[in-house]
Amino acid sequence: MNKLRSVVRVGLKVNFGLSVLRHRLFKEKKDLWLVPLIAVAFLGLGPTLYGYLALIKIAYRLLLPLGQQHLILTYGLLAGQVFVLIFGLYYVVSAFYFSKDMDILIPLPLKPFQVMFSKFTVILVNEYLTIAFFVLPVLVYYGILSKAGLPYWLYGLVIYLLLPVIPLAVVSLLVIGMMRAVNLSRKKDALIIVGSLVLIVAGFGLQFVLNRAAGASPDPRAMIRFLTAPDGLIRRVGAVFPPSIWATKALAGGLTARGISNLLLFVGVSLTIFYGILIMAEKLFYRGLIGLGEISGRKKALSRETMSRRISSGRHPIKAIFAREWRIMNRTPIFLLNGVLVVVIVPLILVIMAQTGSGKGDNAVLLRLMTSAKPIYVILATACFMTFCSCLNGTSSSTFSREGSQFWISKIIPATPKEQVIAKFIHSYFIALLGIVVASVVAVFVAHLKVVMFAGAFSISIAAAVALTAVGMIIDLARPLLDWTNPQKAIKQNLNVLLAMLADIGILSALGYFSVILLKRGIGGGMLFAILFGALILLSYAGCRFLLEFAKKRYTQIEV
Amino acid sequence: MIEFRRVSKSYNKGKVKAVDELDLVIKPGEIFGFLGPNGAGKTTTIKMIVGLLKPDAGAIIINGLDSQKDALKCKAMTTYVPDYPAIYERLTGLEYLNFIGDVYGVSKKDRIARIEKWLEIFELSQAVSSPIQSYSHGMRQKVVLMAALLPAPRVMVLDEPLVGLDPRASHHLKEIMREHCDQGKTLFFSTHIMEVAEKLCDRMGIINKGKLIACGSMDELKKLNHEQQESLENIFLELTEK
Repeated sequence: MNKLRSVVRVGLKVNFGLSVLRHRLFKEKKDLWLVPLIAVAFLGLGPTLYGYLALIKIAYRLLLPLGQQHLILTYGLLAGQVFVLIFGLYYVVSAFYFSKDMDILIPLPLKPFQVMFSKFTVILVNEYLTIAFFVLPVLVYYGILSKAGLPYWLYGLVIYLLLPVIPLAVVSLLVIGMMRAVNLSRKKDALIIVGSLVLIVAGFGLQFVLNRAAGASPDPRAMIRFLTAPDGLIRRVGAVFPPSIWATKALAGGLTARGISNLLLFVGVSLTIFYGILIMAEKLFYRGLIGLGEISGRKKALSRETMSRRISSGRHPIKAIFAREWRIMNRTPIFLLNGVLVVVIVPLILVIMAQTGSGKGDNAVLLRLMTSAKPIYVILATACFMTFCSCLNGTSSSTFSREGSQFWISKIIPATPKEQVIAKFIHSYFIALLGIVVASVVAVFVAHLKVVMFAGAFSISIAAAVALTAVGMIIDLARPLLDWTNPQKAIKQNLNVLLAMLADIGILSALGYFSVILLKRGIGGGMLFAILFGALILLSYAGCRFLLEFAKKRYTQIEV
Repeated sequence: MIEFRRVSKSYNKGKVKAVDELDLVIKPGEIFGFLGPNGAGKTTTIKMIVGLLKPDAGAIIINGLDSQKDALKCKAMTTYVPDYPAIYERLTGLEYLNFIGDVYGVSKKDRIARIEKWLEIFELSQAVSSPIQSYSHGMRQKVVLMAALLPAPRVMVLDEPLVGLDPRASHHLKEIMREHCDQGKTLFFSTHIMEVAEKLCDRMGIINKGKLIACGSMDELKKLNHEQQESLENIFLELTEK
């Protein structure tokens, strides 16, 4: 038990960098500037939270007369569990199989289930933080609105703590099984990527099924329509993913027999599944893990001709650094999944979600609106969609962090910071362009955009992507995360990626606000386009200039 | 030539002095061994030469150029082997060497000749087209060494270069180090292996708690020593025990 406690404690400390953070915040006082910045970033989420709470309130008021107000809980809890099910995959694959601390943990006298327990706890804590944004408002605000008593809050706490367990256990089961198979093969990296994609598609397939079962978006009026139908929403959702229904019934039932029995059912099933995973871990976890890092080389000497062909004839440093960035990104499964594939998958997912949701009718309305509205609105909305799709990935905002412990090479080579940053910029921008191209395909084929409108949106988004790529790189250069042991930390769990996303949203919102004001003042569409395009060019120029100057300073300052 | 002019570096806002007013000149054609207990300031000194750390005070002059003011020119004539071979695991050995060749501007002809020569000496021909991820610690160390030799630099800075190498590779490396300096070039390296330092170095410096406490050839160090110790190990132990 002591061993388990130690390994869990160390796991949490390492993963969340608690000791390092304490040292940097209170001893070196290096990261103190981050505290107000993060506070401002969270304040920025205020309006979204306000809107969310307003939606909950409306739904509550509409459902109360029907006695079905607890459906809000079902939706909130179900959303949390589905989110864990889909995105938990990244965490599980990287924490179980790509963490470098596994090399330290395996030789220790620990049982596989203890190591797995520690990893599982780390992911669980991560999930608490992630789902807090959409599950906690539902749980807390519902409690306030219904003037719930002590049992509700206690049940709520237990349910929140156990909420990610079942979906995470399901994902772990799939991943452990997948890795066992992957480890038998020589093409491990390729299999991991293919396997992960299959699991993501399966996750969205499940969401599709859930959508079909629920049959409605969280629009309160649509909810009521379904409640009046003989086949109630709750039974339909419950048939596909029962745990959220048990949790809802427990919370709604309180201290009644129904409430207690459902709570026991939820807790019991969660703990049983978790226990099952631990038993499985004991048998399969290390089999999938040990030897995963062993990459067997070809072990064949190259002939003189091949060697001569493969040795390059002196590329410019920018080309050489670009090639390095490109290869490392594409050959590291976690980087490839989070950087390159995200820009391809996200626009497609958005389309699938729009197509499979309740509202095929909504799409028709949207399209009608788009084609009848002023062209400049269509251009702006499409440009916003394209830019959003291109900059969602963390390529630019993790470009320095991804180098990790190898950053010493960039410090000692005789390539100027300017050359290094240009190569990294080209790489990040290329990925952003890939996102724009995929989003363009969506815009043209799904929204049937006219050529002129498409050209306008495309030119705005490629200009915006320059500025946003520069912003992402500046943020990462200001505080590169170089001491990671798990590549996931460099890109997915890197605070810089989150900060860059918030900055991107802030810039896009400011530009949108600015455009609306100009339009209200009666400025013409063509003129607004010209002003916006000009502003973006200026912003891009200023961003790139600042980035280059900043790099000159930072490359000397960053010590490794 | 490497010249340290009152170079200091401290950590924790000046609380820990890692290197304290170091004054030292390493002449061309000289193999200079840098010795000291753990945490004495060896790696900090080495990292300052190659630009990984910035000195708090003083200057490091490499072949007449200030390593801070003419950083790029200094980097172009210096190569470095770190104490731990953390290199791009997802590249193959050959891709990594190509990358180094590109950024140091090594011509294709020189590149082919040198890579073939070092691959044979370090017995890496079979592995060079495999990802570095598949290499053992010693093989990675060999790749880092090859990368440091590829540009035929005027100054080589090596931090514990023999760690992880098999006896044959160690033997070859010592020969290469001698050859490098016989061409009038400079080599600065740190080691904990006293026998190697004693046999290989033209001069040695002993650093303790950030201060250079002794410097000179083996004969000069012997003269410094009151107890007339014969071996470098005994001299080292006596000088650093305070």
